[in-house]
Amino acid sequence: MTTLLETKGLGKSFGRFAANADIDFSVAQGELRAVIGPNGAGKTTFFNMLSGTTAATSGTIYFKGDDITRLSGTRRVHLGIAKAFQTANIYPEQTVRQNCRLAALAHTQGTFALEILRRSDRLTDVDTLAERAIEQLELSSVAGVRSGDLAHGDKKRLDIAIALATEPEILLLDEPVAGMSRDEARKTEALVRKLASSMTVLIIEHDMDLIMGISDSITVLEAGRVLASGTPAEIRANQRVQDAYLGGHSEAEIDG
Amino acid sequence: MTGATRGSDVRFALLTSIVLAVFPFAFHAIDGYAGLATQILIVSIASIGFNLLLGYTGLLSYGHAMFYGGGGYVAAILLIRLMPDHPNLWLAVIGATLAATILALLVGALAVRLYGIYFALLTLAFAQMVFFIVEQAKDWTSGDDGLQSFPNALLPLGPYNVDLGTALPSVPLGPFGNLADIKLWYIFAALVLFCVLLLMRALTRSQFGEVLTAIRENEERSSLVGFNAAAYRLAAFAISGALTGLSGSLRALYDGTVAVESLGIDRSGSFVIYTIVGGVQALFGPVVGSAVIMYLESVLSAHISYWRLVEGVIFVAVIIFLPAGIVGTLSERFSGRAKSRALLVQTVRADSGK
Repeated sequence: MTTLLETKGLGKSFGRFAANADIDFSVAQGELRAVIGPNGAGKTTFFNMLSGTTAATSGTIYFKGDDITRLSGTRRVHLGIAKAFQTANIYPEQTVRQNCRLAALAHTQGTFALEILRRSDRLTDVDTLAERAIEQLELSSVAGVRSGDLAHGDKKRLDIAIALATEPEILLLDEPVAGMSRDEARKTEALVRKLASSMTVLIIEHDMDLIMGISDSITVLEAGRVLASGTPAEIRANQRVQDAYLGGHSEAEIDG
Repeated sequence: MTGATRGSDVRFALLTSIVLAVFPFAFHAIDGYAGLATQILIVSIASIGFNLLLGYTGLLSYGHAMFYGGGGYVAAILLIRLMPDHPNLWLAVIGATLAATILALLVGALAVRLYGIYFALLTLAFAQMVFFIVEQAKDWTSGDDGLQSFPNALLPLGPYNVDLGTALPSVPLGPFGNLADIKLWYIFAALVLFCVLLLMRALTRSQFGEVLTAIRENEERSSLVGFNAAAYRLAAFAISGALTGLSGSLRALYDGTVAVESLGIDRSGSFVIYTIVGGVQALFGPVVGSAVIMYLESVLSAHISYWRLVEGVIFVAVIIFLPAGIVGTLSERFSGRAKSRALLVQTVRADSGK
């Protein structure tokens, strides 16, 4: 398998506090990788450095072998790195369809286009991309709804649909089921599983059932550093992970 | 484009032409004089440009006088220095508009990365610098005296050189005055305003306008779907500056004089007032706001010495009671939607974010 996204010695310091340090990390094409760790382990900081919203203070990020450490988040989206946020980040005044159309429009037109006379409603590839994202996240029934009026779970799924409409090669999901009801979470889990069959997915999540169930491999962060990496079975069996993550609780508890 | 939108395009063009044709005569009936009608149309172009920033981009500029007065000075200087014998109105206006666009690109390159009060203060600071430079460059600008008696620019149209100061033939119209009150200047200003309105209408419905609105609503998301937010804001700032420069140059040529006050802080503030009173995000808002305030100023300042106070009270009253402005409130009433209610709030929020 080829490496899609890789970091070497990646670090982020806020003054003297190191939120991330010395992270060597790599994701293979097609993999579904989870990043877990206790609160404050630096998962979100790590994600933000990958998506380009936070600048790394040390180390390097490679995408398909190219150094992208200094590229803006906007540029990275066009390379194929898309992110769904922990708190649904959508256009609340727009319909679900328009939310996805905007993302698809960015993908097809590029970072800037001085199209001050032409309307976008005849761009069929934009509509195609948007509709596909809406279908994939099972939002068709609410496509015409003002997205600010959606239920929490639908907003989170819309955020993923927005990311998807940019046709990413790798999708970064920051706690996709956080705050969802059990049913919503299961539905989203099934959707993520389906997405992962056609693209690379990197996921931060607290829901251990979900992580252990769907991940190909897991990276555990603690205090901003990589504590362990491996398959779900290896991570479950790892004594250091148990100590750090749950303060030495039994395997059964990690499991469920 | 569907039949429905083409129908609405035709309706828009027709209604706008009728209103512009009737305006100076109706205006006469309420004591407005034809010259003021012309000035209102000209200044409206600047207010429309200003609103592209405030209403559609969510940026409050407090320095638009630099483009307005700048346009006026550039047009006057071009006529005095380059075309004393064959003063060409097209060249003066196009030159001034280009100069304003370049100035906007330069200032915007620094300003569009700032938000809210910082953006307003930086634009204000640049406008004050331009004011100071123009005031000091006495050889070119006559300093505090301003530029007067520059060549009367003619409008080359095919084989003719049209003097826009020419009045229409005399036809008495009762309470609506006389056709001869209208000079060709009014028709020219109306045509330019009409084109600017068509342009803005297309722009706000265009792909560019769509992205601009998206960035105003959620910049973080817009950046992370792949839009270069700073580039969009810079483009909006440049178009806004260009329209304001166009307006300022027309005003200088119409008045036959340009003064440093056209670069001043009061001038910058007037665009804020016109736009908010008329209604942000409404295409005709800035036009109506300019007309109402300029008319009241003309009528009231003749009788009372505290016009500025009255203007301030109107401004405050509109912000509190009609946050969508005159046009926004009216269109709410007619369409039954309360959509624009949140618009000013949204604009201000976007403006103070980050």
